[in-house]
Amino acid sequence: MVFSSLTFIFYFLPIVLILYYIVPNKFKNIILFLSSLAFYFFAEPKFGILMIVSILSTYIHGILMDKHKEHKKIITISSVIISLSFLVFFKYTDFIIENVNMLFNGEFDLLNLALPIGISFYTFKMISYIVDVYKNKVKPQKSFLKLATYVSLFPQLMAGPIVRYSTIEKELDDREYTFSKFSNGVRRFIIGLSKKVLIADVLGDLISSFNMASEKTVLFYWIYAVAITLQIYFDFSGYSDMAIGLGKMFGFNFPENFNYPYISRSVTDFWRRWHITLGTWFRDYVYIPLGGNRVGKIKWLRNILIVWMLTGLWHGAAWNFILWGLLYGVLLVIEKLGLLKILEKIPAFLSRIYVMFVVIIGFVIFSGEGVEQILENIGGLFGIGVDKLTNAESMYYLVNYASIFVISILASTPILKNIVKKLKEKIPRIINIFEPLALSLLLIICVSYLVDGSFSPFLYFRF
Amino acid sequence: MSDKIKDIIVSVLFVAIIVSTFIINIAIKDSDVSTSERRKLAQFPKINLDSISSGELSDTVEEYAMDQFFLRDEFRSIKSFIKLDILRQKDNNELFIIDNNIYKMEYPLDENSVMNITNKINNIYEKYLSDEAKVFYTIVPDKNYYLDSNLMYLKLDYRRLENIMKENINSNIKYINIFDELSSNDYYRTDTHWKQENITKVAEKIANEMGFLNRITLDFEKKEYSGFYGAYYGQLVKKVEPDNIYYLTNSIIDNAKTFNYETNKEGSVYDISKADSSMDKYDLFLSGATPIIQIRNENSTIDKELIIFRDSFGSSIAPLFTEAYSKIILIDIRYISTDLLSKYVEFNNTQDVLFLYSTLVINESGALK
Repeated sequence: MVFSSLTFIFYFLPIVLILYYIVPNKFKNIILFLSSLAFYFFAEPKFGILMIVSILSTYIHGILMDKHKEHKKIITISSVIISLSFLVFFKYTDFIIENVNMLFNGEFDLLNLALPIGISFYTFKMISYIVDVYKNKVKPQKSFLKLATYVSLFPQLMAGPIVRYSTIEKELDDREYTFSKFSNGVRRFIIGLSKKVLIADVLGDLISSFNMASEKTVLFYWIYAVAITLQIYFDFSGYSDMAIGLGKMFGFNFPENFNYPYISRSVTDFWRRWHITLGTWFRDYVYIPLGGNRVGKIKWLRNILIVWMLTGLWHGAAWNFILWGLLYGVLLVIEKLGLLKILEKIPAFLSRIYVMFVVIIGFVIFSGEGVEQILENIGGLFGIGVDKLTNAESMYYLVNYASIFVISILASTPILKNIVKKLKEKIPRIINIFEPLALSLLLIICVSYLVDGSFSPFLYFRF
Repeated sequence: MSDKIKDIIVSVLFVAIIVSTFIINIAIKDSDVSTSERRKLAQFPKINLDSISSGELSDTVEEYAMDQFFLRDEFRSIKSFIKLDILRQKDNNELFIIDNNIYKMEYPLDENSVMNITNKINNIYEKYLSDEAKVFYTIVPDKNYYLDSNLMYLKLDYRRLENIMKENINSNIKYINIFDELSSNDYYRTDTHWKQENITKVAEKIANEMGFLNRITLDFEKKEYSGFYGAYYGQLVKKVEPDNIYYLTNSIIDNAKTFNYETNKEGSVYDISKADSSMDKYDLFLSGATPIIQIRNENSTIDKELIIFRDSFGSSIAPLFTEAYSKIILIDIRYISTDLLSKYVEFNNTQDVLFLYSTLVINESGALK
């Protein structure tokens, strides 16, 4: 089930909200756990058991660590290996077989395994829990229900944010419910829904048109590249907004996952603003344990490249993702070696152009299927292998989607947020009247798109 | 309004909207069909172990939720309004309005599809027809062809489509070009089809090229059937003036009988009872879609037959040829396999044969059997 579906918004959510708020506090976690299981089983019935087995393994290891403190290192390693082995088996086996076959002219058959939805996210959450228990940052959770509720919590089960156990440890026991928090959640949910339905999915149609185009031009390659860059952002940040919003409706405070990444002035800055919970996860659980930057230059370079190769690989078992991760790894090294200082001195618009150029090329690599297509799509941007600069088809799609581009570019900056903030300071009462109206209107428009639209899962579900 | 009151309103309003919508959707009776879209609506899926374990259930339930959502057409019209009037996008689901006339973008040209239908025609020719038969083909342009190119809307490459067919079709099958006999006014504003009352010029051109112009007067009486909202109207959900369906008749057509091979029933050329009960008023013409239907000219003194391989455009032009033949057999190979035709139709070398297909079917010929 996806958040941006009529089934979720008008069947699942009202039932769960009513049940959640009518039961006494001590039963709320049970309602959340059962509804999370229903949420997962509805979309992924085959692999629900896998998730429960993974949670059970992590739970048992946590309890064991509490009882056998002298063996806590080996218990932690065991837990991490078990969690990772599920992830590696389902996500990377075919990729490994393909590459072994390619390197050694092997003929091993592919397993053609389906990827359990959300496995990359819930595996990372469980690893963070067990490592934090090992480091005595958190106490082992004695209640299986509470740990299972944390891992399977439906608002952040399938595509993040990667909420650390330490972040919501207290909230698993005691949550605060206020109208302010709930209405904040509603606002985030509707804004996220609008990002997904009114922008990301609409740009998805444009990308489909590009893929089916009879003749691709330089202009059309650029339209595609910008569209895919905006689509991925609005799709994923829309999901995160909805997750954070739903979390608030149920009394949780999830961490932010995006902070206007497309206004960044450096790639370093970009990765502080993009998929924040993944970046910080890799920093805390891979980069720093490897020694971070408190080692010699060679080791430091190695650490960066390992982290960024893994970041790429986390997104998918394909070379384009590894390439995409390494591109950022290399650029981050270059920035740290001196480019960052130059970027800080040059005019802001120039540094932003540099970042957006890198990000656009990055997402063309990211979304390409195979090296051949990636080279074709990047070459197309610079007129390589393309006959025409533009044609009637490219112009049609540019004009047809002009308003969507303007709105999405504007919405990827904090301009609108700042305007509303300033207006709220000057005319708070009017803005307060306007907000429920605007949110209702947005919800109605989203529903009109959903009723007339086709089913469209979130892009990040496949990671 | 204070922040506190605003927060209460936002929270209560949201919960009220989703809960009341849930209750209304559960309470209202499900519809079987959407009249405006002319299609069956998804029903609540059967829940069993297979549908659950395969993961199909979530998709089918969502399809059901979309199709049975209360005020569905009103919501669809909101989307249409937002896309076309607010965001100024050029189309909604590839549909758009120019001068109160709804168009659907047909693009790009699928050359494989054009080759597919060309091969189908060649196969039929080789299997059932001979070099002595008089065989023709014509292409009915969709109304986008007549759309002003300055409006930027994407169109098929009609010349390329024509050329592919010309270059690959059996050389004994002669082409009748009717592109210049039509204009955008000759099509319904809210539908894909041409208006029968406006295609006598086309009928004349075909009759002339096929050599039966001397056998028809093309003298008809124009009768009004009813107001008509075509297929595009329901898909776009925008307010547009309705069309009117007129039909052309004379004593020969009035006396002619049809025989439907699928239902084994006789009927009349203009099937008012079928059209009255149908979602598509265009079914007036030869009772709508059917594999094989015959028009028998009861009082004919001419012993000549015409076979038309056709799509729905053929339903409204075929009656205009009634006078020139004792029998016209219309075959729609979207609904019957070409391999089965000899079971129902006797082919001989004296029949005239016309392949009449619209660019819409030519460009999406995968459904031809």
